[in-house]
Amino acid sequence: MISAKWTKRSPWILHFDTGSCNGCDLEIWALLTPRYDVERFGMVNKANPKHADILLITGPVTRKAEERLVNLYNQTPDPKLVIACGDCASNGVPFFDCYNVCGGVDKVIPVDLYVPGCSCRPEAIMDAVVQGIQMWQEKVEREGER
Amino acid sequence: MNEWYFGLALFLLTLPAIGLLLGFDRILTARLQNRVGPPLWQPFFDLAKLFDKEGLLMNKGQVVFALMGLLLQACAMGLLCMGGDLLVTFFLSGAGSFMLVLGAFSALSPFSHLGAHRELLQIVAYEPVFFLAIIAVGWYEGTFMVDSLEGNLIGVLPLVVLALIPVLMIKMQKSPLDLATAHQELVAGPYVEYSGPYLGITKLAHWFELAILLGFISLFYTNDDALWTLMGRLLLIIGLVVLVAVIDNTTARLTRGAVVLTTMTIGIALVGANLIILALYGLGGLA
Ligand code: SF4
Repeated sequence: MISAKWTKRSPWILHFDTGSCNGCDLEIWALLTPRYDVERFGMVNKANPKHADILLITGPVTRKAEERLVNLYNQTPDPKLVIACGDCASNGVPFFDCYNVCGGVDKVIPVDLYVPGCSCRPEAIMDAVVQGIQMWQEKVEREGER
Repeated sequence: MNEWYFGLALFLLTLPAIGLLLGFDRILTARLQNRVGPPLWQPFFDLAKLFDKEGLLMNKGQVVFALMGLLLQACAMGLLCMGGDLLVTFFLSGAGSFMLVLGAFSALSPFSHLGAHRELLQIVAYEPVFFLAIIAVGWYEGTFMVDSLEGNLIGVLPLVVLALIPVLMIKMQKSPLDLATAHQELVAGPYVEYSGPYLGITKLAHWFELAILLGFISLFYTNDDALWTLMGRLLLIIGLVVLVAVIDNTTARLTRGAVVLTTMTIGIALVGANLIILALYGLGGLA
């Protein structure tokens, strides 16, 4: 097994919009700009579930997006981490009880971290991602022991 | 004969050197975009992570093609390090690039297929130029054997080095010539269906492929002093990588037709012009 010290330095992300208002998506994109520059932590937006380690999910998961979200989750190789970005993704809040939404990412796939806010601030997402890297490393180590 | 050891050492150094070069390239790109960028070791972290991940496969053929690609590129690089035949190196490496295309075609994904088609177009665009460059070197030197090349080629074949810059840009997957891995439209092109360790294998093959081209370009500079030769070659490579990074960050991607046309016509014209000039002055081993 390769040392987790090395492997945790390269979390590649997949961002998926499950029907958000685009508010949170913009904040995720802000992470890649010079101001926040998450490539410092080795993070790259790969836009491909097969290359991804961390899924950044926004939106309340509409019924149409549900199937796709599950599909993306299954296509991501282990060890992986799911971060629900924004109130929508955390529990569907502005769309609470809507007929066409599942009401949160955790209704569909297991979520590791929730980022609050409508929209969630880039700083908060970054905090979640850095914490997420920690969790992901623990996951990598656990997976390594198995 | 310490040349044998020297070749082996060179071969073993290839991957670390290319990894560092790619790390340098990523930092440089970040700085050009006013960002801090990843650490220098980032390519190694990426590779370590990939080999530690679970690998999902579309079909078993994919692995065979990925492994064949790595094997062919490694063979070609080994031959280059040992001072072997440039033409054999070229054909082995070309076959290795083609393995990536086959691997991409073997998966039933439209992105993968588009990537494979575009990779083929790239091969059509750069292979003739690369081939002609090798022919030009062979024509001037009268031999294709790396260890019997002598003289400072960059002085007599400067246009050939210029022609190799677009080739380097394609091999480094840099804008404006990065057709196959166009990340905004094709996600990762031919690599899209590879994951985990299998993606790692294709990455390693790509590192070797890059090393072969850079190794060939480095042959253009020689000095009587071995230390100067080494320094000059390193400077040449780093200079070209800086140039490619600057071009990458200041241009938009060309269309498929434009990539093939510009790379091929400009490349062939430059190499041809260089050979004509040499022939006019009666230079060259076979002239
Ligand atoms: S949490 Fe707010 S800003 Fe974010 S997607 Fe939902 S409605 Fe938009």
